[in-house]
Amino acid sequence: MRRSRPFLEVFACAVKEDHRFPILEVFALVFTFGVFAILDLEAYAWNGEVFAYRLVSSLWGFPLSIIFVILILKNIAYGLGSDLDKGVIQTLFSYPLTRRSILRAKLLSAVGVVLLLVVGIQVFALLLLVPDVITAHSSVVFLTYAANLCSPALLLAGLVLLLTLLLKRGGLPLVFGVVSCLAFAIISPLVTSIASATGSDLAMRIWAVIDPNLALQSYYLGTAGLPYAARTWVPSFAEVILHLVAGFLIVAVIFIVAYRYFERRLGI
Amino acid sequence: MNLIQADDLAKSYGKVVAVDGLSLRVQEGSIMGLVGPNGSGKTTTIKMILGLLEPDRGSVRVFGEEPWDNPDVKSRLGIIYEKARFPSQHKVRDYLERVCRIFGQPESRACEVLSLARLEDAGDRDIHALSAGMLQRFAIAHALINEPGLVVADEPTANLDPEARSALLDLILKLRHDEGVTFLISSHILPELSTICESVALINQGRVWASGDLIALSERLGAKTTRISTDSPEALAVLIGKLEYVIRVEVDGRGVSVGVLAGEDDRLYEDVPRLAGEAKAKIRGIETGTASLEELSRLAVKSGQGEDRRCEEAAPS
Repeated sequence: MRRSRPFLEVFACAVKEDHRFPILEVFALVFTFGVFAILDLEAYAWNGEVFAYRLVSSLWGFPLSIIFVILILKNIAYGLGSDLDKGVIQTLFSYPLTRRSILRAKLLSAVGVVLLLVVGIQVFALLLLVPDVITAHSSVVFLTYAANLCSPALLLAGLVLLLTLLLKRGGLPLVFGVVSCLAFAIISPLVTSIASATGSDLAMRIWAVIDPNLALQSYYLGTAGLPYAARTWVPSFAEVILHLVAGFLIVAVIFIVAYRYFERRLGI
Repeated sequence: MNLIQADDLAKSYGKVVAVDGLSLRVQEGSIMGLVGPNGSGKTTTIKMILGLLEPDRGSVRVFGEEPWDNPDVKSRLGIIYEKARFPSQHKVRDYLERVCRIFGQPESRACEVLSLARLEDAGDRDIHALSAGMLQRFAIAHALINEPGLVVADEPTANLDPEARSALLDLILKLRHDEGVTFLISSHILPELSTICESVALINQGRVWASGDLIALSERLGAKTTRISTDSPEALAVLIGKLEYVIRVEVDGRGVSVGVLAGEDDRLYEDVPRLAGEAKAKIRGIETGTASLEELSRLAVKSGQGEDRRCEEAAPS
C-alpha cells in the first residue's frame, strides 16, 4: 500500500477538524486589502527596501498576527491536546502510519494551512497591488516574512506543542501560548527602551536571537520611526542573517525535541 | 503459531506497578479472554501489545514483529477500545470511507462493516451525535475495516444493550469460524467471555496468574463449585463463609453455592454436616461441578491477597 494515501487522508481529516472555512480567510483578505486602503503609501516611500519592509510589517501587524498566532496555538493545544486527552490519538495510532507521519499531518493542518492561507493571501495582494515591490525587493519581503514567522509564530507553536505533548492536554499550554504571544508584543519595545535608557545594546542583541524581527527592524529602520529614544544598536546585514538563522535553529531544536518525544517516548 | 507473544512485560506509572513480569501467548485462530479485576493490568497490557505504551522491561511481538510505531503490524490489526473516540466533525459513513482509503480498502467496505455492526441506518449521522452504544458499535465497524487477522478488544461489550452484546458475540464467533480471525478480548462480563473464549489468561497484580484452556484450567486449579441444597441457606452460608479454605459463598434460591481452594473439596464435604447441625439446617443434597470463569477470576483475586497460587499454562483436556 502506498504510504502517501494514508498520510493525506489523516491530513484531510485534521484539516476538517481544525478549520471552519472560510471565516478567517475572509477576515485575512479584508484585513490585507484594508491595510492597502488606509496605508499612506506616499509616506512610506523613503526608499524601496524600507518601503517593502514597512509594507510587509504592516500587513503582518496587529491584530492579524495576534489572531493567527493564537489560531495556530489553538489548533495545536486544543486540537492535538484534545486528541491526546480524549483518546482520539489512539484511533489515529491504529492506522498504518508512523507516529512521525501522524504528527506531521496534524502540524501541517494546525500550522501549515494557517500560515499558507495568510501568507498566500498577503503575497497575492502584494502581487496584485504593488507588483514592483515583490519583483524589486523579493529578498526583503522574504526576510520580513521569515522573521515574523520565526517569532513568535513558529517559536510559540513549538513550545506549545512540546508542552501539550508533555502534559497530554491543551488547556494550560494554550494559556501559556496566548500570554506569551501578548508578552512578545510588549517585550521588543521594552527591550529597546531599556537599551536606550542604559546605553547598552546587550539586551537587544540577546532578545533579537529569540525575536529576529527586532534585528531586522533595527537594520531597516535604524533610528527612524521609533516611539522611544534613538536605538543604540543598528546591526549589519550579516548580523541580521545570523540572528535569523539562530532564531530558526531554536525553533528547529524545539520541534525536533517534540517530534522525538512523540515518536519515541509518548505513551498513551 | 503465536500471533501475540509477550515475555516478562513490566510497566510502572511512577511508583505504581501496573504490569510486573507478564507473559502471554495468543495462538492464531483462537479467541482468548483477558480476565482480571480493576487495576489488574489488563488495559496496560493491551496498550503495550498495541504499541501505545513502551514496556519498561520485557518484549512483545505481534505477527512476529515489534508493535511500537510499526505500520505493517497496524495494517493487519483491528482494535476496539473501551472508550473509543473518533474525530467528531464527520458523518459515520464518510469517516469509515476515509478509513477504507487509509487501509487501501474499497469504499464499499464501509457499508459492509456498517451492516456487520448493525449501523446501516446511522450512516448519515454525525459521529458526535451517536449514543454511547452506537459509538461502541461504530468502533466495532471501524476495527473490521481492514479485514484484520487479529482483533484486540478492550471491553468491547461496554455500553451495548443485551441484544447488541449477543450480536457481537455471534459476530466474533462467525469471524473466527469463517475467516480465521484471532481475538484477544478483555472483559468484565465473564459469563459472556466464557461462551466464546477457548482460553483465558487470569491477570492479577500485573501478572498472569494462570492461563490456558478454560476447562483444563478449571480442572488444573481444582477450582470447583459445590452447590448445597438446604432449607436454611442464609444461616448455613454464614457459617460456611467462616471456613478458611472457602473463597466464595452465594445464596441463591433454596441453596448455597460454595467455591473452595484447590484440593479442599473433601474438607467441605466433611464440614457441611457439622455446620448444618449448628445452623439447624436440613441438607437435601450436595453436588460439585467445574468452576465458572467468574469463579476462576475470583481465585485470581484471592491469590493476589496473600496466597500465591500461580500455575503453569493449562493445556486443553
